[in-house]
Amino acid sequence: MSTLVSNLELGFSVAFTFHNLGLCFLGCLVGTLIGVLPGIGPIATITMLLPVTFGLPPVGALIMLAGIYYGAQYGGSTTAILVNIPGEVTSVVTTIDGHQMAKQGRAGAALGIAALGSFFAGCVATLMIAGLAVPLTRVALLFGPSEYAALMTAGLAFAVVLARGSILKSIAMVLLGLLLSTVGQDLETGVDRMTFGVASLSDGIDFAVLAMGLFGFAEVMRNLTVDQARDVVHAKIGRLLPSKAELRQSAGPVVRGTLLGAILGILPGNGAVLGPFASYALEKKIARDPRRFGRGAIEGVAGPESANNAGAQTSFIPLLTLGIPPNAVMALMVGAMTIHGIVPGPLVMTRNPGLFWGVIASMWLGNLMLLVINLPLIGAWVRLLKVPYRLMYPAIVIVCCVGIYSVNNLPEDVLLTAVVALFGYAATKVGFESAPLLLGFVLGRLLEENLRRAMAISRGDLAIFIHRPVSAWLLFTGLVVLVVAVLPSIRTRREQVFVEE
Amino acid sequence: MGRVRVHAPQDLVAGASLLAVSLFALWAASPLDAGRLSTPGPGLLPRVLAVMLGGVGVWLIVLSLFRPGESLGRWPVRGPLFIALSVVAFALTIRTPGLVVAGPASILVAGAASPETRWRELAIFAVAVTAGCVALFRTLLHLPIPILVIPGWVVL
Repeated sequence: MSTLVSNLELGFSVAFTFHNLGLCFLGCLVGTLIGVLPGIGPIATITMLLPVTFGLPPVGALIMLAGIYYGAQYGGSTTAILVNIPGEVTSVVTTIDGHQMAKQGRAGAALGIAALGSFFAGCVATLMIAGLAVPLTRVALLFGPSEYAALMTAGLAFAVVLARGSILKSIAMVLLGLLLSTVGQDLETGVDRMTFGVASLSDGIDFAVLAMGLFGFAEVMRNLTVDQARDVVHAKIGRLLPSKAELRQSAGPVVRGTLLGAILGILPGNGAVLGPFASYALEKKIARDPRRFGRGAIEGVAGPESANNAGAQTSFIPLLTLGIPPNAVMALMVGAMTIHGIVPGPLVMTRNPGLFWGVIASMWLGNLMLLVINLPLIGAWVRLLKVPYRLMYPAIVIVCCVGIYSVNNLPEDVLLTAVVALFGYAATKVGFESAPLLLGFVLGRLLEENLRRAMAISRGDLAIFIHRPVSAWLLFTGLVVLVVAVLPSIRTRREQVFVEE
Repeated sequence: MGRVRVHAPQDLVAGASLLAVSLFALWAASPLDAGRLSTPGPGLLPRVLAVMLGGVGVWLIVLSLFRPGESLGRWPVRGPLFIALSVVAFALTIRTPGLVVAGPASILVAGAASPETRWRELAIFAVAVTAGCVALFRTLLHLPIPILVIPGWVVL
């Protein structure tokens, strides 16, 4: 316990410098600003703003990126409540009751409880990360290549199950992501693989190119083809602070949502997306009068929003302790860390304690700032939402272009992004989802490295994965999850959960 | 036996494209040494993955012949085409003559993607956004983005 306190103390001493506080604030503000725009989720937001952090020292860059992440997430909820367009999967549930509340003139209360619930969730999740970091890192140091490979395989299995579309197609996307990650120079032999003599490909396909193509441009292409009739609420926003009765109603959902979200967020393979759904289902089930849900029940905003934020934060745990990104946003963090010369994994905590605990402490600060920034700025967000899409998308396109160009200062990267975007658009048209592809791509190199090491250790005996208990257990879990997901009864339930698009 | 009816055109196309990607990858990886399990070479994983991908593709094709599924739906071309062209326009003009040209060019090409575009409004907007980009990325963030480059005359 005392080490926890002293660690957090170290963290706060790093985060509380004028410079880092400013970066945290700026990240939250800019993240919210872009997250509020419908059709840009956290992934595109972070990719777009990645170049902004290039000139910063590593701690500052990560603090700012984390701020951008929460900001974008929180901005997405604002859009969900005010416009009925979820910024991303995790705010889908918020649209149900949140938008109803907004129509009844209670938008203020919905936004307020979302902010308060998120703040509570953020506090708990920060403590949880701080508490779990040390023991998990110790476990991670015991992991050998076979355990790492098994953990990643299990994570990919989770990702397949948690994706929305057909399971078979999600598997295909994970495989394709892995395959794309093998493009470029082979790490062991230095041979160019599948580069077709293109020099810029021999470093591999840039993650930013893939992410921006699939989640920036392809998203714009998709949005242009659907009708952009937006339903910005005309009712008044109402008072921002929820009434006493509303607060009392929300207390339970916030606590339960936080716990659910925090636990699910740790799961590899983007467990965080499940949090809001699970919380909504739970609240509806235990409510005295379930019929209120869907008609503006504040519990339907308080629970999922807390779960959402808790999951968003605890998904940092696998990244910070094991060095394995559990979802695409964390994958971007890996990219950012690598750019700054930090290899994510169990060693970060011992080698860069200031950075590690500074980032954790800044998470709490970031949540506090979100609360302070957002409540007074809601009027500004509403005005921003009234900018028509016909002006919004060209601006998105140009900022994305500048962003992708600045990563390596190569026009070729920009061209490749256009190709990826067309591919991503066509892929969604035939029912493929982009998220599993991105995760497969991110884990690909790590997975291959560890697989090859494991094979070298066991002299080509695949049984090593079963003989070592931890890896056997992990692979078994992944297998069970996959099998269970294709069982007919679970499959229909899964479809019901994701039916609200 | 009557004609085979496709029950799920979307899945058929999806499966066929996977199969095509798989065959392409197998061809692209063919010069690479696969090695042995004890000493895996650079070609092993790409090949294994390509085969698995092809397997999923074939399975999707087979399923599409029996299991009812979604139709292909509409494929609007205008939006995606002009967005892609706008990105290409940016890539071709960013080095020379630089952002001052690349910005408005890509914004105006992007404008053609939507039927709702009002051209005069967009032209003014393009200039404003480009100015904003120069201010943000170059002045504020000091990123090495070419602003205006005319060989032998100006380099900004």
